[in-house]
Amino acid sequence: MNFEAIKKKAQQEWEAFNTFDKPRILVGAATCGRAAGALEVWEKFKQELASRSLEANIVQVGDLGLCYAEPCIEIATPDGLRVLYGGVTEKIVPELIEEVIVKRNPRPDLALCTFGQKRVEGVPTFEELPMASKQVRVVLRNSGIIDPSNIYHYIARGGYSGLNKALQIGPEKVIEEIRNSGLRGRGGAGFPTGVKWGLARGNKSDVKYMICNADEGDPGAFMDRAALESDPHAVLEGLAIGAYAIGANYAIVYARAEYPLAIERIEGAIRQMEEYGFLGKDILGSGFDLSIKIKEGAGAFVCGEETALMASIEGKRGMPKPRPPFPAQAGLHGQPTNINNVETLANVSEIMNRGASWFSSYGTEKSRGTKTFALAGKINRTGLIEVPMGIKLGDIIFDVGGGILDDKQFKAVQTGGPSGGCIPVKYLDMSVDYEELAKVGSIMGSGGMIVMDEDSCMVDITRYFLSFTEKESCGKCTPCRMGTQHLLHILTEITQGRGRLEYLTLLEKIGMTLKNTSLCALGQTVPNPILSTLRYFREEYVEHIVDKKCRAVVCSALFKSPCQHTCPAGMDVPKYIALIRAERFSDAYKIMLKTNPFPSVCGRVCDHKCQAKCRRRNLDEPLAIKFLKRFITDNAPRPQTTLVPLTRKEKIAVIGAGPAGLTAARDLALRGYKVTVFEELSEPGGMLRWAIPAYRLPRNTLADEINDNIKSLGVEIKCNTRVGRDISFDQVSKNFDYIFMAPGAHKSQLMGVEGENLKGVYGGVEFLRDFNTDEKAWLSGKKTLGSKVAVIGGGNSAIDAARVALRLGADVTILYRREKKDMPAAEEEILAAEDEGIKIKFLVVPLKISGKDGKATEITCQRTKLTEFDKSGRRKPVAILESEFTLGVDSVIAAIGQVPDMTFVPLESGVSVNKWSTFDLAAGSKSQTSNPKFFTGGDALTGPDTVIGAIAQGHQAARDMDAYIRKINNEPAYVEPVDEFIDVPLVVDEETEEVPQARMPELLAGDRRKNFKEVELGYEKTIAVLEACRCLRCDAEIV
Amino acid sequence: MTRELQDVLGGFAQDRDNLIPILQAVQGEYGYLTPETMEGIADYLSISESSLYGVATFYTQFKFSKPGDHNVRVCLGTACHVRGGSRIMDEVSRHLGIQAGETTEDYKFSLERVACFGSCALSPVVVVDKKVYGRMNPKKVKNILKEYE
Repeated sequence: MNFEAIKKKAQQEWEAFNTFDKPRILVGAATCGRAAGALEVWEKFKQELASRSLEANIVQVGDLGLCYAEPCIEIATPDGLRVLYGGVTEKIVPELIEEVIVKRNPRPDLALCTFGQKRVEGVPTFEELPMASKQVRVVLRNSGIIDPSNIYHYIARGGYSGLNKALQIGPEKVIEEIRNSGLRGRGGAGFPTGVKWGLARGNKSDVKYMICNADEGDPGAFMDRAALESDPHAVLEGLAIGAYAIGANYAIVYARAEYPLAIERIEGAIRQMEEYGFLGKDILGSGFDLSIKIKEGAGAFVCGEETALMASIEGKRGMPKPRPPFPAQAGLHGQPTNINNVETLANVSEIMNRGASWFSSYGTEKSRGTKTFALAGKINRTGLIEVPMGIKLGDIIFDVGGGILDDKQFKAVQTGGPSGGCIPVKYLDMSVDYEELAKVGSIMGSGGMIVMDEDSCMVDITRYFLSFTEKESCGKCTPCRMGTQHLLHILTEITQGRGRLEYLTLLEKIGMTLKNTSLCALGQTVPNPILSTLRYFREEYVEHIVDKKCRAVVCSALFKSPCQHTCPAGMDVPKYIALIRAERFSDAYKIMLKTNPFPSVCGRVCDHKCQAKCRRRNLDEPLAIKFLKRFITDNAPRPQTTLVPLTRKEKIAVIGAGPAGLTAARDLALRGYKVTVFEELSEPGGMLRWAIPAYRLPRNTLADEINDNIKSLGVEIKCNTRVGRDISFDQVSKNFDYIFMAPGAHKSQLMGVEGENLKGVYGGVEFLRDFNTDEKAWLSGKKTLGSKVAVIGGGNSAIDAARVALRLGADVTILYRREKKDMPAAEEEILAAEDEGIKIKFLVVPLKISGKDGKATEITCQRTKLTEFDKSGRRKPVAILESEFTLGVDSVIAAIGQVPDMTFVPLESGVSVNKWSTFDLAAGSKSQTSNPKFFTGGDALTGPDTVIGAIAQGHQAARDMDAYIRKINNEPAYVEPVDEFIDVPLVVDEETEEVPQARMPELLAGDRRKNFKEVELGYEKTIAVLEACRCLRCDAEIV
Repeated sequence: MTRELQDVLGGFAQDRDNLIPILQAVQGEYGYLTPETMEGIADYLSISESSLYGVATFYTQFKFSKPGDHNVRVCLGTACHVRGGSRIMDEVSRHLGIQAGETTEDYKFSLERVACFGSCALSPVVVVDKKVYGRMNPKKVKNILKEYE
């Protein structure tokens, strides 16, 4: 048959395939689908249809790429409607048949999307799906749409037209066309394909080889597998075109043995090619002969390297050879050979079909066309995508990929497999192409893209890559063979807590040696993960080495339980939870006080990062660590803190009676120092007293805790004494030997809008402070916010201000410039605010505040749209022109952030304050400033942060001050007194059932809107004990 | 040389290029490579046994000891690693009582680690014989292995 006749028949068959006299069911049965249970679903469909005596055309197809939703089933009914259903299990098959096929109810509630012209209301088309809308499917043009084992389907959609054309225009013109398209090798190196073919063609020989490299070995990459399983002809046609172009009559597909389905599909496709005259002698009457053989790999990553691949074909050890000679000159069996990647060839067939200028209309100048990516890791929509080169990295991860799983924080994306690098948050806005990826220290590679979040440890990931390359190193050249071993050893030492800072330099040195001297690209790229993680995540390495800390809580040699390791103060969570379980609440309290002088506070307001790492969440939900902490303080008498005798002569001053200052004061008093705290306001507590509202933290709870845990130790707190106003900085410096400065961050940042200085416009913390100072006036109505209040901001201060305003009787609207998921405030706070009737408007920024008689009356806002990513990894909100609207307001509260007020620090003091209005630290210290007499901690050092963070810094400063004092005096180091021994029972359940976290009873929204009564009511004893029983005791060791 | 081995070898020309396919076919027939079969193959291809072992031991696919009835392979590719693959390996290892690379005493199960199956979107992945299990978690391990016991 000639090609035209074949095409005609193909078109007929394709049309028949797409005419649904009887229903047509497509089951996505590539390896991804099968791994999700597609074959079981296939069987179930056949069974159920037979039992209902229903006829349907049921066909296995390839990969649509929506792997997160596998198994994917498309059902087409005689009315022409084609609907795709995702997550199909055997259980719902009968329902689908009944509803969709029999009753013709397309079930929009179960549908993912539609294909073709007919639509269903409320259901997007495939092209409209967020995962598909930015895609341009060239390599994947037929995947999931055709029956991969039916060559007619391939031909009807343009298949083999490229080969036909190529055979007519001649090899030189073919090479020119490929050159003009700008196609670059998709295996990873990106060498221009047309040029490569030209070189192979230029070397004369009777015997030449064309090889398709289907040894996709990069862990995390499965694009080639999907292409071969879903559309094998696209690759084979490209292979045939390439063989023709370079003058080879022998072609080989080298496929890894781990891909049995792909090999099966290729075998079937080759048979079909022979049957229809696209292979064999005198192809399509052109005089060109070609045979294709399949060679299976045998499990060696290095055989993806072309010279090793050829050695493997020759039945030898897969070890690379030095080049030159290049394969184009002397390759397989010493003959001119050209090796191309699967994806490259799948592009070739379509380029010859549709033309070079069509292809090069996509992509960037140097990186033309499209690229497939295998999206995997901590991303919502894992799967296979194909996008134009030049697309932004953030668009791939957040638009196409749907963002990070469980709303966690994006940390890095790894591209290029073990030869690539990790790209951090700040490059989310970068264009994805060969050059840009190289600039940031990674490579395009074959297309694996692994997304990592806050729970991924970059040191561990690097060690992981080295464990891979160390195993796969062929051993031929010394740099790689020895280098990978040493690099792996060093990284293992670091993850096991035996690292040294010198190792980092060693990693770089050995890495560069491998880069410059290894025989092949495996060895040369081994150091890429190391060099890129050292470049962007050096602090993590240093933390592992110096602090023995793994912030992602992965390197288990460095910690026992994730909760304790994550807590900035290192609270021994498993111990006190175990003691709740044993109903020994007093002992539990004693455990808490060892590390936290404010457990009643933290049990109410902590941001509980421990819960985010609690291992129980892998089973059901994390432990309610915060609520349990509060339970102890509500239900056990506070352990007595005994007065410690004054044994030190040095006098310590603390500036600021917030959590950092008071914690340091307590620790130093416990070490025998006389401590005096200077507090500007009328009562101690800092933000705890003057910002956090009483309905979250009752006044006497805080006051009692300060009295019992701080004042009782003999710490003197001088209230109403501001350093710089009531006592000079110099005076403090003279009267005291050492000073700990923890003034916090209490100055609201200005919005920078017109009308900010009108009456009725407040800063968030200033308003809260005023309210807390003058409560009577506010509650009596003497001072008022009026009836309509707008709060600007999305953090905890904004929510606090809004909920206070509500309780003062106002109608409150929060205006936030980004989306809900971007709000930094605690989720439970946002929920509580909404429950209470506070409205939140998203994607809004204030433009100006207008007033009458000097008082605010309305606020003009603009809507924003989120544009490119900024360095923090969030999309920049940009005001939309002419989108203004006004809200009538009586008051505006701007809670967009705070900075410390450093006006009390004179320049001559020698204490360095930086441009962000925080203190600078002396090199190598965690708390000492540039003037050794002065130490710092808390928000004044870090900028606004958490209570527990401030407490931890208070501990750090006290340790550092005491250590410094002792060093100066040549005294031995401080020895912690031995605490009373508290035996903690180890009770671990044999079987664990899924049980959700115990819910915290709360005042009903209606009951709490008009008062400041504490909203969270606390656990009852039985509930608390049951919750404590959920703890998995990650701290337990098997002895 | 046994009859079975002769049959298997007969399907291949006596060409060095067929070395790996022959090893794959022989292992497919017997489950692993024995000293006897290796001797037969070396003879067939007219190469030294040491050269043959040199090639066979280079590739991880080839086994030289009797495998279990069921081959359990846990994927430890990057995507699987990031989604907890090592915990799956720990659980499987604990359940079977063997480490990766070993076979249970009753020859029921062999355990292997594999770098990547290419089902990364459904990580973590475990493959038992030819069946691929995606979206694994440690809880599912027990039930899946029970199917084969």
